[in-house]
Amino acid sequence: MSGSDRTASLSYDRTGDVRMSSSRVVSLIARREILTRLKDKGFIASSIFIIVLIMGSVVFQVLIQSGASNVTVGLTGAPQGLSAAIQEQADIFGLDAEVIEYDDESAARAAVQGEEIDAAVIDGNSVLVSESLDDTLGAAINGAVNGLALARRLVDEGVDPTILQPVSLDVTALQPAADDAEEVGEKALVAFVSILLLYTLLIFFGQFIAQGVVEEKASRVIEVLLAAVRPWQLLAGKIIGLGVLALAQLVLICAAGLGGAIAFDILTVPGAAIATVVQVLGWFLLGFTLVAALFAVCGALVSRQEDLQSVLLPMTLILVAALVLAITAGQNPDGSLARVTSFVPVLSTMVMPIRVATGSVAWWEIALSVALMVLAIVVVVRIGGRIYAGALLGKGGRVKIKDALAAERVS
Amino acid sequence: MLEFDGLRKSYGANVVLDEVSFTVAPGQMYGFCGSNGAGKTTTMRIAMGLARADAGEVRWQQRPIDLEVRRRIGYMPEERGLYPKMPVAEQLEYFARLHGMNSAAARCSATDLLDGMGLGKRSKDALEKLSLGNQQRVQLAAALVSNPDVLILDEPFSGLDPTGVDALAANLAERRSRGVPVLFSSHQLDLVERLCDAVGILAGGTIVASGTVAQLREREANRQLRVVIPGSDGHWARELGYAHVDSAQDGVVLLQLDDPSRDQDVLSAAMAAGSVAQFGWRQPTLVEMFREAVAA
Repeated sequence: MSGSDRTASLSYDRTGDVRMSSSRVVSLIARREILTRLKDKGFIASSIFIIVLIMGSVVFQVLIQSGASNVTVGLTGAPQGLSAAIQEQADIFGLDAEVIEYDDESAARAAVQGEEIDAAVIDGNSVLVSESLDDTLGAAINGAVNGLALARRLVDEGVDPTILQPVSLDVTALQPAADDAEEVGEKALVAFVSILLLYTLLIFFGQFIAQGVVEEKASRVIEVLLAAVRPWQLLAGKIIGLGVLALAQLVLICAAGLGGAIAFDILTVPGAAIATVVQVLGWFLLGFTLVAALFAVCGALVSRQEDLQSVLLPMTLILVAALVLAITAGQNPDGSLARVTSFVPVLSTMVMPIRVATGSVAWWEIALSVALMVLAIVVVVRIGGRIYAGALLGKGGRVKIKDALAAERVS
Repeated sequence: MLEFDGLRKSYGANVVLDEVSFTVAPGQMYGFCGSNGAGKTTTMRIAMGLARADAGEVRWQQRPIDLEVRRRIGYMPEERGLYPKMPVAEQLEYFARLHGMNSAAARCSATDLLDGMGLGKRSKDALEKLSLGNQQRVQLAAALVSNPDVLILDEPFSGLDPTGVDALAANLAERRSRGVPVLFSSHQLDLVERLCDAVGILAGGTIVASGTVAQLREREANRQLRVVIPGSDGHWARELGYAHVDSAQDGVVLLQLDDPSRDQDVLSAAMAAGSVAQFGWRQPTLVEMFREAVAA
């Protein structure tokens, strides 16, 4: 201020003024939240950690699934038809077998030694493996070799080959599944991964919102802020700002996860999986709004970061309960527990996507669940907003909800 | 005109404000004084919408202060607070924009203020990296950055070194010259006396004295006579039936008259007692007026 001549040169008129509509105020606040978080090393590090965690779990799935079902078998000097027979048998045992023919035994041996193939069948009567023969693969090769040998002997004995055509079984389902089993399984897998992601992001961003609220109270910047903005605008700006960041992370993870899963052939029905992901995104938007508002209100009740965890505990427990209920619902999607909890706001965010993916849900059930969720958001934003506004100016220890509701509020 | 009209406020049985009314004219520097806990901060917080009055209202240009008006007010709260980890310039720009400035004007204003405070080189530093004194300057800048039409500053001078005090005083004087009314509270009465053209003294929940410093003096004008007779023990004054001696020391006698028009009689008696070196009505300092007003 030593250069007051400097300030004197400022023109007094505030021609730079713009009309401060609520949406403008909210977007200014949201913008600050986003920019601040993007510069916060702690936030970036945690975000990367979560993305790596989710990607890691997808890669883990890839390894497990690919290790179990894909086998490669080498053949040399094999009787005609063995290649097809091995593939047929492997298919019965749930293996996805690839058969490669080699010119001679030494080439097949080299392939086994180089671990390019799991087993090599020599001359249709011996098997070469690196360490030991996998039981299932052994059974498949055994069945193929013996079946082929048996058929050839019968033909040699003059039996009509048509007799050897297998009888086709007529399968009658007493309770036909709505979808193809594979599709249901994949939808369930995607739904589980998605709600795990949902849970992680809700807890993670809920914490960040609550910390941001406490920061403003602890540093007392709140008095300067509330002189210019309304409490609900502050609340909305925070939720939208962090919501944009959370959504960006979620989309990034989903795109990478889905892309990876399709590329690695974990998912063979991408259409269904994408539909599930889109559905989870929708639930995320609703769930995030509600959970973020609840976390912000909890944060407003305390004035120090040290006191934050104790007020957040009930909220965190509800989210854990939602995750557990969602996993339970995956095993029994049409049980009464799953049905009831899929309508309870917060819980429904995680239970309903699982029910939709694994069970049969009528459209009106989804509509009702969404409607209840929207209603809960309205109620929380109204009442929670009052508590938030009442508690913001409270000092010292912990503000009681009752006192916050009764407290004078800035308009 | 910034008008405080009949503000009442109590917390439970504790009455904090009881009919607080005063006016700050455009271009006026109004010093708001009172003992600790007198209700100065509460009055200012009511004006800023941070507390609600039980009765009465605060108006700016005849309009009750709402959020829209409040955006044109620069406010410095008693409890200082900004974002500790946010860079200084970014922070000032943010507050300027929340108060309605567009982004270019906000940047320009923030840069000018920081340069003026000698903090131009620190503008990219996080607030918490600055010394407390400099943080205090940034807090002031946050109140000034939106070029407000009105200034309400709670103890703006506390924590500033003499250079800082002078710089802030110059800055406020310059804004005042553009017609901005400035209301500030302070415990430093010598400062208030030096800077303000109007003073309000809050005691017992109400304004016990208000007006320009000259008006207050006027009110106190004929209260105490000061007579200096070197070498006298003041005995002469105690014998006057119509005067009450407040003090008599080293030849200096301070006395009050039941009837101020009898001052010439006192002069005659003094001249009879010895050689009068000085005689006149005393100009009370603000500190004395303050003590007087608060004690009443």
